[in-house]
Amino acid sequence: MKIMTCPINGPRPISEFITAGAVKPMPNPQTADDLTWADYVFNHDSVPGVKREWWCHTPSNTWFIAERHTRTDEIVRTYLWEAA
Amino acid sequence: MPLRLLKFGLVKSYPESRMFRQRDRLRPTYDAVIIGGGGHGLATAYYLAKDHGINNVAVLERGYLGGGNTGRNTTIIRSNYLTPAGVKFYDQSLRLWQALSETLDLNLFYTNRGHFTLAHTEASLRTLRWRAEVNKHYGIDSEVVDPQTVQAACPHMDLDCGGAPVMGALYHAPGSIARHDAVAWGYGREADRQGVEIHQQTEVTGIRVEGGRVTGVETIRGAIATPKVICAVAGFTPRILDWVGLRSPLKIHPLQAMVSEPMKAWLDPIIVSSSLHVYVSQTARGELVMGASLDPYELHSTRSTLDFAEGLAARMLDLFPFLSQAKVVRQWAGMADMTPDFAPIMGKTDIEGFYLDAGWGTWGFKATPICGKTMAETVARDRNHELIREFSLDRFSKYALVGEKGAASVGH
Amino acid sequence: MTLLTSPLADVLRSRPGTRQELNQMSVLTQVPDPKPAETLGLADLSYLTRFGVKGPQSASWLSAQSIPIPEQPNTWAALPEGGLIARLGRSEFLIEDGPDSQTVPRLAAACNSPPAQVYPVLRQDAAIALCGQATQNLLRQTCSFNFQSLNLTEHPVILTTMVGVTVTVIPQPKSHHPIYRIWCDNTFAPYLWQTLAEITTELGGTIIGTQDFIPYTGQMP
Ligand SMILES: Cc1cc2nc3c(=O)[nH]c(=O)nc-3n(C[C@H](O)[C@H](O)[C@H](O)COP(=O)(O)OP(=O)(O)OC[C@H]3O[C@@H](n4cnc5c(N)ncnc54)[C@H](O)[C@@H]3O)c2cc1C
Repeated sequence: MKIMTCPINGPRPISEFITAGAVKPMPNPQTADDLTWADYVFNHDSVPGVKREWWCHTPSNTWFIAERHTRTDEIVRTYLWEAA
Repeated sequence: MPLRLLKFGLVKSYPESRMFRQRDRLRPTYDAVIIGGGGHGLATAYYLAKDHGINNVAVLERGYLGGGNTGRNTTIIRSNYLTPAGVKFYDQSLRLWQALSETLDLNLFYTNRGHFTLAHTEASLRTLRWRAEVNKHYGIDSEVVDPQTVQAACPHMDLDCGGAPVMGALYHAPGSIARHDAVAWGYGREADRQGVEIHQQTEVTGIRVEGGRVTGVETIRGAIATPKVICAVAGFTPRILDWVGLRSPLKIHPLQAMVSEPMKAWLDPIIVSSSLHVYVSQTARGELVMGASLDPYELHSTRSTLDFAEGLAARMLDLFPFLSQAKVVRQWAGMADMTPDFAPIMGKTDIEGFYLDAGWGTWGFKATPICGKTMAETVARDRNHELIREFSLDRFSKYALVGEKGAASVGH
Repeated sequence: MTLLTSPLADVLRSRPGTRQELNQMSVLTQVPDPKPAETLGLADLSYLTRFGVKGPQSASWLSAQSIPIPEQPNTWAALPEGGLIARLGRSEFLIEDGPDSQTVPRLAAACNSPPAQVYPVLRQDAAIALCGQATQNLLRQTCSFNFQSLNLTEHPVILTTMVGVTVTVIPQPKSHHPIYRIWCDNTFAPYLWQTLAEITTELGGTIIGTQDFIPYTGQMP
């Protein structure tokens, strides 16, 4: 079973987690033009490599960041947003 | 037929010619290069030659023919989709399928089974009624049936489903299955007969673009000059788009499947339950082909997991408790290239001469013939075929999504 | 006064045994044969009163109500009058009375008009307890978390899933074998209970009443 380490709850089976996808900076919705906004909303950098993603340990509702290799599935590091 | 078979037993050397010629060299130039020797790439090659007389074409495949999602898919063919664009497109595909064994002169084991999508809650029954109405409106054979009809078509099913009883189903009579690798070989063989070159073990490593137009590709066997490149590489698409600087919403998730040991024929229709996340059909060989939903997170890998097999087996037993002693004999995964609106990305791009056939996620096998047909015309005329206009990559920047999600909730 | 119902009332209705009204709830207190609980016992403790609070100021507010605060997230402490407080994160707490304490009504009254950054949380959990020698066996079948790896003197609170249901678990070291307190959302309670009850029976244990449970707890926090 694949194990992920929640920064608060420790190592847990991956089935206890969900992901909300890549960490990406949001352009200012007031000033961004339609193209920039569409790029932010839809497009995704999905060339495999080590990516920063939002994950949540669902039983405790702990949101945190995981750095994960999207080809090998190796989880490099997990940490709370504040610790970033 | 029996006499033809006898020949195989009596002569020393194999009496049939190979499905396609092994070419030992790449030519320095082609009129078009197709990246990806899956069903889509090979069908495009076939129709380019057959319909448009363009046969100075190379299909470049990094591995072996049909070794991508084409040879990994669970082969469900249907057209009960939800959007006008989708319905028209898949309906045309179904028509091509029905004549395909003859067109390609190869038995594709295309069999019409009927397709049931089960509802276990009032809410999903409502969705199915809606789908049936939309389908009928577009002339698709689709209706909601009661549990007794399901039971009659599938006497082995436990309608109680481990506490989530079947309340009805969407029945789509044209639902079919086919032999997946035969489709790749059939298109490959016919394309080869028309003069198309197929090169296996030939990975493309770069695309040459000058002044906004394609001029060639680089491969592990050397560079090729060509004005037209068709990219039909399913789960590998993001890597290739990155070479030419195109952005896309594609996300790659593994989609897994497994088969049981062969058994006596007992399951005629194709059974899908979105609530239970399971779908199953029985092949001509007697194996149960089973699948479930996508793996929950992005991964560019074809690894399979025990979690998947366990979960799927448990839900299969809810539907068919008598299978508790049946053995699972194989398990595998493919890389599904998912779009946010569950519709494909097809046609011309901002780079002249670079054509894309991607975003086929978990549902592209059924579209193989029509993709070949429409992509070939798009490439030959350098104008998007009318059937694929709504699938172009720029729909995202125009906020003009297609919205096929309701019809594709379980992977197939 | 209206009678409250345990989230498990339906699945327990047909169980023979003695019932008593406790905290306005009809509670199964004793079953005819509680002996197999030495192997494995399963009890419904949903009748115990419960109070939840969260927000950046919740810890200091609880302190002001003279409630001891567990220092680390995911740890618990016993309350002086009985019952317990569990720290579920940095700023969320679950307080549950013991059979005889009255802390929760007091906190609920004090929280009627809470100060800024203190938010009461409605807790209508199903509260389940496990006792006996075979608890580890049951946990191994239902959880992917290894409870044997825990140091119980550190008072850990475990947020995990059990047969797919999100649960909060507190193991409490008792005379022979630890007991396990389990809380889950009430809508999943019947499914969780039925699954645990089936396994309990398979392992030679039984469902017991709240009175039957007391000997296993020593003095229940
Ligand atoms: C488990 C599973 C079940 C499915 N079930 C169904 C179903 O029931 N019904 C349905 O309609 N669809 C289904 N699908 C989806 C369907 O399989 C695909 O959408 C379809 O087969 C895609 O075909 P393709 O030819 O585009 O891609 P592929 O068959 O994947 O072909 C792409 C080829 O490109 C090659 N390639 C990649 N990069 C390079 C490179 N750089 N150079 C050279 N070659 C390269 C790959 O090796 C591969 O052979 C399923 C998919 C999976 C994984």
